[in-house]
Amino acid sequence: MIFEVFRQEQRKDYHVHVGNVHAPDREMARMYAQVMHARRKPAHSLWVVPKEEIAEVDSDDEGVSMGGLTQKEYRWATNYNTDETFAEEIEASQREQEEAERGREEAEAND
Amino acid sequence: MQDRYKHCYMDIEEVKQRAGPREFGPTDDMPEEYRKAATRMIQFHANSEIMGAYIERPFIRQAPSLDRKLAVSAQVQDEIGHGQLLYRAAENLGIKTREQMLDELANGEGKFLNCFHYPLDDWYELPMIMFFVDGAAMRRQATLKRTSWEPYAHAIDKICFEEGFHIKHGESILAELASGTRRDQERLQEAFDKWWPRILQFFGPTDDQSTHSDFSSAVGLKTMGNDALRTAFLNVYLPKAEKYGLEIPDTPAVTFNEDTQRYEVEEDDLDWDEFMQIARNQYPQGKGQIDKRHRTQEAVEWVRDAIENPGAGSAAAD
Ligand SMILES: [Fe+2]
Ligand SMILES: [Fe+2]
Repeated sequence: MIFEVFRQEQRKDYHVHVGNVHAPDREMARMYAQVMHARRKPAHSLWVVPKEEIAEVDSDDEGVSMGGLTQKEYRWATNYNTDETFAEEIEASQREQEEAERGREEAEAND
Repeated sequence: MQDRYKHCYMDIEEVKQRAGPREFGPTDDMPEEYRKAATRMIQFHANSEIMGAYIERPFIRQAPSLDRKLAVSAQVQDEIGHGQLLYRAAENLGIKTREQMLDELANGEGKFLNCFHYPLDDWYELPMIMFFVDGAAMRRQATLKRTSWEPYAHAIDKICFEEGFHIKHGESILAELASGTRRDQERLQEAFDKWWPRILQFFGPTDDQSTHSDFSSAVGLKTMGNDALRTAFLNVYLPKAEKYGLEIPDTPAVTFNEDTQRYEVEEDDLDWDEFMQIARNQYPQGKGQIDKRHRTQEAVEWVRDAIENPGAGSAAAD
């Protein structure tokens, strides 16, 4: 059985997908996950999930459109030319959106 | 996560001692008092997102251009999403289910922000919500990234990521109207005069009058008091109003106290009776908004039914 592994580096971090392990059962999967994904890199907690329990939506599948396919600039703070620096939380939000935008552009370039 | 161990039970003193940003989560065995307080706070927030969407929704139809229409509809969609994220965060506390909270909202027991009890009359009023009220909400939400209930903080991360667009779009509408015709500017001022006192009441009664504040602060759910938040809001949004040529009404009187570095609002100039009527969900127009939500919930009941009990309804049709 394949189990997907999500690692949380430090307490309060989000769990991030780091790979998978092949194991005969849950118990062994937890052990392998520790050895494979928490031996060198710091880990506070691991989630170990049977692969078939994960529902996937693939952007290549028919009838699936997950943003980015049509023009949706109007959904982004960067689309409006008012000043974002007047309040730190608005500035923070815009910076996060800019980062997401760069990520999207890179993804498109690699497509 | 059935096979994760439960941490041992914490009493309220220990909670107060440990309280800090993102400190507690579903694997902690929290005392009921904490779980109830967190549920009350997050449910209120979730309800407000949903009712905020209902206030903005008519402007998908009334938007003056296609760009505005698309942006307003995206915002409404975001707000409903925020509501869903928050109900999930609240549900994790084990006090109420999502269905229960949605039912309470529809039947008038669910509480939500004062500003969303007043339907908007026209496009000139929209930036009062989109810029000033959403801006006030953002000030508050940014402080909740450090709330002690971790699932709440996670929901806030995503909400804050999206809200930058709302406030900037709101300001863009405000800027457009403020630089419009004389008539546009007059109507904008009228909208501002009407909304300004409600916006000042957004943060609720001052700390000494606020009922649940002390406990929520002590256990780290709330990280900033009502007064400090209102000052933080006025610090940046009052100059914005002035920048767009809006005149700040003389009443309610707002003055800056140099000694305390805080804005002071003449509380007696604000209509706290109306505020309390709203807080009880008894303000007539607010009731109208709740009824709208009730009707919508009922109208799509069959969809929920069909999803939850697939095949159940088809026998009669066969
Ligand atoms: Fe929102
Ligand atoms: Fe918003």
